[in-house]
Amino acid sequence: MQAPVAHNPLRTALLLALILLAVAAIANFFPPALQRTVTQAMIMVVVVTGLYTFCGNSGVFSFGHVAFMAIGGYTSAILTILPGKKEVALDLPLWLEQLQLPVSVAGPIAVLFAGLIALLVGLVFMRLRGIALPMATFAMLVIVYVVALNWQAVTGGRQALVGLPRTTGLWTAFGFAVVALVVAALYDRTRRGLALRCSRESEVAAAATGIDVERERLLAFVVSAMIVAAGGVLFAHFLGTMTANTFYLDLTFVTLTMLVVGGMRSLTGACAGVALVSIVSEVFRSVERGVSLGGTTIAAPPGLQEIVLALILLVILLMRPHGLTGDWELTLPGRSKR
Amino acid sequence: MIVIQNLIDAISLGSVYALAALGIGLIFSIMRLINFAHGELIMVGGFVIYAMAGNPMIVMALTAIIVVTILALGMERIAFRPLRKASPPTLLIASFAVSYLVQHSILMTFGSRPMGVDFLSGLGESIEFAGLRVPLLQCIAIVVTVALMVGLVVFFRASRIGVQMRAAAEDFTMARLLGVKADRVIAVAFALSGILASFVSLYLVAQTGTVSYKMGVNMVLIAFVASVIGGMGSLTGAALGGFLVGIVSVSLQAYLPEELRPYRDAFVFLLFIAFLLWRPQGLLVRRASERV
Amino acid sequence: MLAIENLQVNYGSIVALRGVDISVATGEIVAVIGPNGAGKSSLLMTIAGVVKPKAGDVKFDGRSILGEAPEKLAASGLALVPEGRHIFGSLSVAENIALGATPRNDRAGIAADTEKVLDMFPVLRDRFRQRAGNLSGGEQQMLAIARALLSRPKLLLLDEPSLGLAPLIVKQVYDAIYALRQQGLTVLVVEQSVNRALNAADRAYVMSGGAIAMVGRSSELQGTAAFDAAYFGSSQRSRA
Repeated sequence: MQAPVAHNPLRTALLLALILLAVAAIANFFPPALQRTVTQAMIMVVVVTGLYTFCGNSGVFSFGHVAFMAIGGYTSAILTILPGKKEVALDLPLWLEQLQLPVSVAGPIAVLFAGLIALLVGLVFMRLRGIALPMATFAMLVIVYVVALNWQAVTGGRQALVGLPRTTGLWTAFGFAVVALVVAALYDRTRRGLALRCSRESEVAAAATGIDVERERLLAFVVSAMIVAAGGVLFAHFLGTMTANTFYLDLTFVTLTMLVVGGMRSLTGACAGVALVSIVSEVFRSVERGVSLGGTTIAAPPGLQEIVLALILLVILLMRPHGLTGDWELTLPGRSKR
Repeated sequence: MIVIQNLIDAISLGSVYALAALGIGLIFSIMRLINFAHGELIMVGGFVIYAMAGNPMIVMALTAIIVVTILALGMERIAFRPLRKASPPTLLIASFAVSYLVQHSILMTFGSRPMGVDFLSGLGESIEFAGLRVPLLQCIAIVVTVALMVGLVVFFRASRIGVQMRAAAEDFTMARLLGVKADRVIAVAFALSGILASFVSLYLVAQTGTVSYKMGVNMVLIAFVASVIGGMGSLTGAALGGFLVGIVSVSLQAYLPEELRPYRDAFVFLLFIAFLLWRPQGLLVRRASERV
Repeated sequence: MLAIENLQVNYGSIVALRGVDISVATGEIVAVIGPNGAGKSSLLMTIAGVVKPKAGDVKFDGRSILGEAPEKLAASGLALVPEGRHIFGSLSVAENIALGATPRNDRAGIAADTEKVLDMFPVLRDRFRQRAGNLSGGEQQMLAIARALLSRPKLLLLDEPSLGLAPLIVKQVYDAIYALRQQGLTVLVVEQSVNRALNAADRAYVMSGGAIAMVGRSSELQGTAAFDAAYFGSSQRSRA
């Protein structure tokens, strides 16, 4: 059993933010396509950081966070799409249909709404122990997906919901990534964060010391859901469209992979995982598009990107079963850390 | 009449779900691994049938069974054996990765559009008895499932390796201390789950007449739910869970008001959550001596 | 038959065994006694191949068995009855005993040995077809030993066989062990119950805090001040 890490989470978060700043600064000069990749990676940092806040601290696996992305994204979409478009595509109550808010207002509303849902759902879920809790989050994912796919009136159903203002640029995403890291770090520092990590090691021991495991998990769940929802809002306004299929198993797999491959127990791990997966995906996406050598273009068949990603994943897991970083957190050299 | 019709529907669907759940439960009971890639075993079975189109049905079926079993053994040898000592999240992600890998390999080879297969379409005919019209396929599904389950029970009680597997499922380390070979027991578990998966794919292809690279996904989700309901680690439980989910599913389909029917799966999972709140350990808890 | 040299075992950063040397000659009954946490169970688990040591060597019948898988060691004549018995509760008594013979293929021999152990522990014969989980603690302990004997082991490792058992049952268990010794079985038994262990064994090692504190013939150890100091003293020292 590892002792709790003796490091300063805020310092780690700021160091990571600096690294992200460097990345964003460089990406500023990238061609648009590549810049979009970096922007998406920043959004994923938000999502995976949110995921870490719950899973990393509680030790409980969640399959449902992508559902909160969907909730955040759809809520913001409904609040920001032009009334004219809404009238055509959806079937909302009049006041909602006519409402149009700027993203800066709609976004926070969406995040709060997601938080509220997380609170209600969490009150029910956190009573569960063992494998039942991950399975319940999984059920939540499926339920949200089925609803989103079929509730034509509100989500557009199988049709993509178009017309979202595309306000998520490189620096917006970067900004929110930093905010997410700081929020996660602040939570880590609190006694509640520590209490939750105690329960990760041993539920029984934690309860015996008076820690209300349910309540700590609920808090982490809500905070995590809100961060993830923010990621969902960012993603929605990055893509400009919302499709139910985007927020289901594939995205769940990608985000969980980023978390586990990076190292489930550290903020640094979350970022490392995002970086690794994004880089590999991008490299093989270009290979798929075709690399020109001389006069010919060599292109790989579609699907290669995912295959290689999966293979690399397996290899990394084989070599480092605790993820790239394990428990390690980025900190200044010379500082005592585990 | 309709009620009995629905009941037969439910039981036949339940049998298929039970087979899928058994495949998941077998691996989990021995290795504590939740094999997400089980769905891809089912999917590959379907594509083998597609690829073997034009041959006699029995050849198509046997090839599917053999290929899927080999794939299952391959998965174990290449991906899961090296990770045997890894933590549960790592194992889970690894099985995700294998699933992803297989799905996209098939995608790359066959494309994304669902493709039609003529397999056992003759079984779509209904037989009549006692005033009911029941598709032959459904009857066969029930019979085959029962036969497979009886086979499994006999295997686990009467064969040496079967008893070893039951012991390993209860206390893996102790079994090894007695000389039970870990590698062999796990390989047999995977082979068995491959066989079970191939029968599920036979049914799916016969029932729907199509194959697509996503066809295993839904089934594996249901299989998990069924396993958890039955009690992870209990094979009887997995089968029971499968039947239960089948019954609930068909009942919802039949009795939900029209507008709500598209949401049927959401209701199934909602009921699942309710079940978890009521009995999170599953219906049949393993009655085992304490594992330290 | 068994030679352990400088065995060091860590669990993460916790040191369980810090350089332990033990030897067991063929036909001996050797006891390892010591308080809780002394590392006795780690010792047996390491010998049986479940735990991998950080350093040191374990030699069985003259050859190093370090790093070998538990199932291979079972086939080589090593049998471990771990602490807490670990019988398979959902299997029958008969199936439990049969599993002991996993490395063997000679049906006649297995049948004969099954009869022998049932003679040794008649209560198991009464409960032969019953679910093992329904047995009492003492019966389970007998089952665990019976099961271990089915592999015709050369070396039997027993981890706290008297734990949680009534004194009368413990006597039965140890009587059986004696009888087995007559038939050439070598035994290494770990015990917290000092008297029981010293009465049964030829030699004993006293472990404390992951190391051997004392070794000698049982008759020499019993009741001496040096022994008390070794058993209790060094554990107090390690607490300081």
